[in-house]
Amino acid sequence: MDINKIISETKKIDKEYHYFNTIDDSPKKEGNGNLNNVAVSVKDCICVKDMESRAGSKILSTYKPVFDATVIQRIRKEGAVIIGKTAQDAFGFGSFSTNVGKDMKIPLNPFDKERACGGSSGGAAGFTQKSTFKHIALGQSTGGSIVAPASFCGVVGLCPTYGRISRYGLMDYANSLDKIGPIAKTVEEVALMLEIIAGYDEKESTTLNEPVPKYTSYIKKDIKNLKIGIIKEAFGKGIEAELKEKVEEGIKMLEQQGAKIEDISLPLTKKYGVETYYLLAMCEASTNLAKFCGMRYGASEQIKGNFNEYFSNIRSDYFNDESKRRIIIGTFARMAGYRDAYYIKAAKVRAKIIDEYKKAFEKVDLLVSPTMPFVAPRFKEIEKLSPLQNYMADTLTVGPNLAGLPHISVPIGTNKDKMPIGLMLTADHLKEETLIQASSKLEK
Amino acid sequence: MVNFTSDIVIGLEIHVELKTDSKLFCSCKRSGTEGEEPNTRTCQVCLGHPGSKPVLNKKAVEFAIKLALATDSKIAEELIFSRKSYFYPDMSKNYQITQYEVPLATDGKIKLESKKEIGLVRIHMEEDPAALVHPAGMKDSKYVLVDYNRSGDPLVEVVTKPDLTSPGEARDFMKQLITILEYLEIFDVDNCIIKADANISIKESSYTRAEIKNITGFKEIERALNYEVARQKKEVEEGKKIVQETRAWDSEKGITFSLRTKETEADYGYIVDPNLVKIDLTKEWINEIKKQMPELAHEKLAKFTKEHGIKEEMAKVISKDKALAEMFEAVSTAVNPELAAKWIRRELTRVLNYNKKKLKDTEIKESHMIELLKLIEEKKITETVAQRIIEKLVEKSFDIGRYVKEQGLETVSDQGEIEKLCKEAIKEAPQAVEEYKAGKEKALNFVVGIVMKKSRGKASPKEVNEILKKLIY
Repeated sequence: MDINKIISETKKIDKEYHYFNTIDDSPKKEGNGNLNNVAVSVKDCICVKDMESRAGSKILSTYKPVFDATVIQRIRKEGAVIIGKTAQDAFGFGSFSTNVGKDMKIPLNPFDKERACGGSSGGAAGFTQKSTFKHIALGQSTGGSIVAPASFCGVVGLCPTYGRISRYGLMDYANSLDKIGPIAKTVEEVALMLEIIAGYDEKESTTLNEPVPKYTSYIKKDIKNLKIGIIKEAFGKGIEAELKEKVEEGIKMLEQQGAKIEDISLPLTKKYGVETYYLLAMCEASTNLAKFCGMRYGASEQIKGNFNEYFSNIRSDYFNDESKRRIIIGTFARMAGYRDAYYIKAAKVRAKIIDEYKKAFEKVDLLVSPTMPFVAPRFKEIEKLSPLQNYMADTLTVGPNLAGLPHISVPIGTNKDKMPIGLMLTADHLKEETLIQASSKLEK
Repeated sequence: MVNFTSDIVIGLEIHVELKTDSKLFCSCKRSGTEGEEPNTRTCQVCLGHPGSKPVLNKKAVEFAIKLALATDSKIAEELIFSRKSYFYPDMSKNYQITQYEVPLATDGKIKLESKKEIGLVRIHMEEDPAALVHPAGMKDSKYVLVDYNRSGDPLVEVVTKPDLTSPGEARDFMKQLITILEYLEIFDVDNCIIKADANISIKESSYTRAEIKNITGFKEIERALNYEVARQKKEVEEGKKIVQETRAWDSEKGITFSLRTKETEADYGYIVDPNLVKIDLTKEWINEIKKQMPELAHEKLAKFTKEHGIKEEMAKVISKDKALAEMFEAVSTAVNPELAAKWIRRELTRVLNYNKKKLKDTEIKESHMIELLKLIEEKKITETVAQRIIEKLVEKSFDIGRYVKEQGLETVSDQGEIEKLCKEAIKEAPQAVEEYKAGKEKALNFVVGIVMKKSRGKASPKEVNEILKKLIY
């Protein structure tokens, strides 16, 4: 499809489903390579030079980055066409893409407009499902923001090992947890994108200086003797029955193709994962969001009062409720007197959770679970959730995110309402190829 | 609570800008050209743009480690950076990347001139915030301008124990620190910032301390602290209560004034900066840096007095300035060390000070000093001529041997010639001669002066003196 057609098609879809915060009217293809003429949508929190990039927030409205994120540089070189910036919960603060910035539109589920896309990479996953041309999305995950929307929208989403892909140019939510990753219709497209954007970056201190395998060569590779552990805790209370069935069918498919299945228990992750995740993420987020004060870039207003008053006014007016909640809780948890009880303790528990996973990977190659405990919820159901219930939606995804482990969500079928269900595989650090190998065996 | 006994207790927190090429976390140049435009030496990292990430400047770490080694500090096993959060317009991210729980180094010490040891609590690294410009002065400006050119410059913070007991000691501490920094070549006194916050208290107030912020320069430290001691004593004498407070130093007026009194520990909500990885300060790395460590001022001082047999007073002055010390070491291999020391300490520094120059600003080389001092040793020129040559050398380099020949500056050693000049002088200054005869020894100097003038300094004053005495009697 030619570029103009792609853009008009994108606009048509966006008008109905609100997947984009910015669409480029006349995108240019620069390089030449493995992504020639592939349309790539970019989550709003990833910097694209000269294209309004605001991490889904109002406070960054009008902000046009002065540089390209490393992943953007890499895909440009391969001939990708960057079509625009996809909708998300502001700064990634949400599981349903309903916490969009003030005055911004909530993306709608491609299967049912009454339902959410999942978050926070909601626009990316929804548009991936709806696109009628070759398209790969760049998403981003801190606690599940790639696999959750992929599962709700019936597409494939891969969140890599922490440090596998450069975060240079990714607007920070929680730096020790943030990862960029691909969302696409097929595992093969996800593998292709990963191959291009993974690898060391001298501009980003936390990237790993490890060789990048040819991930696409693992597609449909034999999984005989691959050991897969079923996370016991992920099939218990609170998981929709129909969803459980479908995931179990998926596990059977893997077993029929030669994988060895056994049970694995991750009690610590189940018990403390969500709390640990939210404490650390909020502590880091509250420092990351401090720079947004209406002074150097983004939204600004007539200056009234001293700088404290000005910063407070801007931040009060422009941040949405969820951003304020996370700033306040995060700031509280790192204040003297509380810091040891919350921030420091959470960091210790995180180390124990990593340990629990590492022990599991001494026994198996992959872990399997549902991606989300339920299918995409309706907006009216989400409205009724308390913040805490909201956070509990991430029960299954925070574990691998805290441990920095690669994980993938693949569609495994639908429920009676025709809503998609996702199966999640988690691998040991830097074992993305095993995820690709096994998940491609689940595709029809 | 420490039990203090001295009349005055002072502790310093000193910020030193390191002389690196680039900033601490980005590749922007650290030092600008003179008169540069504000906010031009910046990038997305030091401006705190969303998505940008810091990358640590290893050179700055090496510089800081050198300081830790030079002060016998205990170096941490890992380098860990934290975020110190507070809102201020000069902070590009509204947090500063600094070190908190585990500083780069602890438990160091620096010796004062008096040999008293001052303990160092810690040495840590951090980034400099931007500069605030108050167009109408700090108190009267309606707005401030922010210049981020300085944002992200590498700093080390040195925190002393409250071991200093007088403003003079504080000044000497700063001097010793600067000498170390200059020896290590990690600091440029002409274009790097060094500033101190001083905590000071006196016995009379049961050591209730005031913190004086942002004092620049070692002379200023002494001035500010002297003022503060006097102020605190006066307040106590007048029956007023000293309160714990933060004060500012107004250098122009020579006073300190209160900034804020309610001192609760500021809560900066420190977290480890997750954008930076912990860096192992391995033994191998430290040893590598140790190999590059120069001999320090106190080591040179000991060597000069013991091995070269130079008087302590002279050796102290020479060893304090690395360039002079190195000059001395080279020159004393070729000429008598005492002569070398004397001429470097007295004449060379006199001429440099007079011209407000440092050795590095001139073209004077070791070879110049060696040639000159050899001429003196061989009595080929007089000291007066040599002084004049140094004065000329400060301006520009030239061939000393040829210059002496061309200008006919060799010492007049022809006795007949000198006698002739002496006789002329006696005739020209009958009054001085009479006074001398009457027993006024000093009167002869006037006559010697005339002879020296006539010989254009080429005659040896000692010789002239002897001849005159002979002629007058």
